[in-house]
Amino acid sequence: MAFVLHTGLPNKNAFKALIAAAYSGVEIEVVKNFQMGVSNKTPEFIKMNPIGKVPVLETPDGPVFESNAIARYVTRVKADNPLYGSSLIEYAQIEQWIDFSTTEIDANLRRWLGPRLGFEPYNAQTEDVIIGSLKRGLDALNIHLASRTYLVGDTVTLADIVMGCNLYWGFTRSMTKSFTSEFPHVERYFWTIVNQPNFLKILGDVKQAESVLPIASKKPTAQPKESSKPKEILKPKEAKKKKLRKKSQSPR
Amino acid sequence: MAWWWRWPTQLVMEVLHSSLPNKNAFKALIAAEYSGVKIEVVKGFQFGVSNKEPNFIKMNPIGKIPVLETPDGPVFESNSIARYVSRLMADNPLHGSSLIEYAQIEQWMDFATTEIDPYIGRWLYPRMGFFPYNAQRALSALNAHLATKTFLVGHRVTLADIVMGCNLYYGFIWIMTRNFTSEFPHVERYFWTVVNQPNFRKVIGDVKQADLIPPIPSKKAAVQPKEAKKEASKEEPKPKAVEVEEEEVPKPKPKNPLDLLSPSKMILDEWKRLYSNTKTNFREVAIKGFWDMYDPEGYSLWFCNYKYNDENTVSFVTLNKVSGFLQRMDLARKYAFGKMLVIGSEPPYKVKGLWLFRGKEIPGFVIDECYDMELYQWSKVDITDEAQKERVNAMIEDQEPFEGEALLDAKCFK
Ligand SMILES: N[C@@H](CCC(=O)N[C@@H](CS)C(=O)NCC(=O)O)C(=O)O
Ligand SMILES: N[C@@H](CCC(=O)N[C@@H](CS)C(=O)NCC(=O)O)C(=O)O
Repeated sequence: MAFVLHTGLPNKNAFKALIAAAYSGVEIEVVKNFQMGVSNKTPEFIKMNPIGKVPVLETPDGPVFESNAIARYVTRVKADNPLYGSSLIEYAQIEQWIDFSTTEIDANLRRWLGPRLGFEPYNAQTEDVIIGSLKRGLDALNIHLASRTYLVGDTVTLADIVMGCNLYWGFTRSMTKSFTSEFPHVERYFWTIVNQPNFLKILGDVKQAESVLPIASKKPTAQPKESSKPKEILKPKEAKKKKLRKKSQSPR
Repeated sequence: MAWWWRWPTQLVMEVLHSSLPNKNAFKALIAAEYSGVKIEVVKGFQFGVSNKEPNFIKMNPIGKIPVLETPDGPVFESNSIARYVSRLMADNPLHGSSLIEYAQIEQWMDFATTEIDPYIGRWLYPRMGFFPYNAQRALSALNAHLATKTFLVGHRVTLADIVMGCNLYYGFIWIMTRNFTSEFPHVERYFWTVVNQPNFRKVIGDVKQADLIPPIPSKKAAVQPKEAKKEASKEEPKPKAVEVEEEEVPKPKPKNPLDLLSPSKMILDEWKRLYSNTKTNFREVAIKGFWDMYDPEGYSLWFCNYKYNDENTVSFVTLNKVSGFLQRMDLARKYAFGKMLVIGSEPPYKVKGLWLFRGKEIPGFVIDECYDMELYQWSKVDITDEAQKERVNAMIEDQEPFEGEALLDAKCFK
């Protein structure tokens, strides 16, 4: 087998490559029994991706990481792939929406969901700001889609694959109907995309989240770190920790 | 990849809508220098005004800069603009010379965008008061890659270096002081090499690393990062050309106070090896071995107990919290060993742990830099108390049932 994808499943970042492969007639084998948190920490894995994240695609010429880069590579394996449009400006627009999806949609989704998945400290004030940025991104996307079925041109392109997978994560984890109804063209677009046969093959049936993931911890841990000087921030914490640290040593 | 015909670039003009200096605009301008493409930057662009006008919103519905106006229509997103610009030159070496090189170039462009850029926005450090674990993790990965390489892919500058260089640029001039970057010597060397390439210098000018981390201007600005002050903070180019050859060797970091403790007969790595290699007879071999080597003068043992167990209602979220904690403890790898148990067969799960630390107290830098510490109640193990000692054994061993309950998971920090 020529291409091997290292990832746990389901994983929306791995789906990008798998859907692009379905469109491109490229075969990708997914490694069996991949164990998140174990398989991606082995020295062999770190050799493929120094940050130890999934997905990684093993190609005959070496490994590639970063899910968008993998999806692009898979797309290029097929010469003159229509997933990349049919002119230089279409190519640029496809790239533009891939990047937009990553920086304006996915980055905000990650920051919104990270704390709720337990990965990062939760802070209500910050969350409001993040949701605000996400809505700004969705709003711009909504405007663009008002008169279009797909992001670029009249067929599915790589931009729709990346956008669809990123939105998939949002729609299934946190963007409930009452949240998305503010963006009707995004809604219509999302359902059109995930019901394309090549998406269905990989994603299966998609069900929108009925509620936002609950907050992992109500403890506002990030709060004391908001003040301006690191040294001052630590004071209140240190006071609480007195019993722990009788001889308070100042590190570094 | 197909090559598409278009007007020869000399006959048409690409117009960039952006204020300057702006690292995202620099990407396109530097790529243009390498590609022999001419870009005109609109005059009198007013950030916060020009990009809110209806004509601008028509080009980019989110109203952000930069936007490139091409003869065939507008393109936004700085990486896409840079890609477009470099494509105007057929067989541009900025894209490498093979399919796999191109994939690696795109991989590092995306890495710069998803793993580096989000963590070095100049608002982030002052807001959080520390470099988030994620930033350090990404920079160490980059550092590891660059240990044997001058540029990211191949032996010359590619589009990946343009995007990475511009993203690192804000970090270096605003928040990443020498003291911080010296931990990543290959990233330092790389950054100065890149920004001193003639085509970079033409666009960016002299680069001066931040001396001090700027304080947050006000509470409000801290919460809603704004770009608006950019013009005010415009760097005065100082005549401090940093030549790669002149680069001094990074100063060694100040020693961790734990390295100054009097030597202990207990070697942490030996214990970790014993723990990992013991497959059978765990009590007789590993646990006995532990107490044989344990040195209460040089080390201390601590129980920890999660303070908010009633919130642990979803199993995978609870597990994420624990793995996140262990990831953030990475900074203490040389000085600690830990076991974390997630207890119970149904929610709410209890999280309890055992930690071995160098020194008689919990190291100060761990308390300061790992926010999880305050989510747990900590108590020092009294090793003269047999019951406590037995609890230590049970935790090292992942004994099940633990305190009468099943284990959902047991994680080890080693
Ligand atoms: N920008 C990367 C992000 C990859 C990523 O965050 N992967 C997560 C799973 S979706 C991961 O591997 N996490 C494991 C870890 O952080 O150690 C991409 O698009 O590939
Ligand atoms: N992902 C975008 C980010 C662009 C961006 O954030 N631009 C900022 C200035 S560097 C902006 O225009 N902000 C104006 C606003 O948020 O209204 C890119 O790379 O082009």
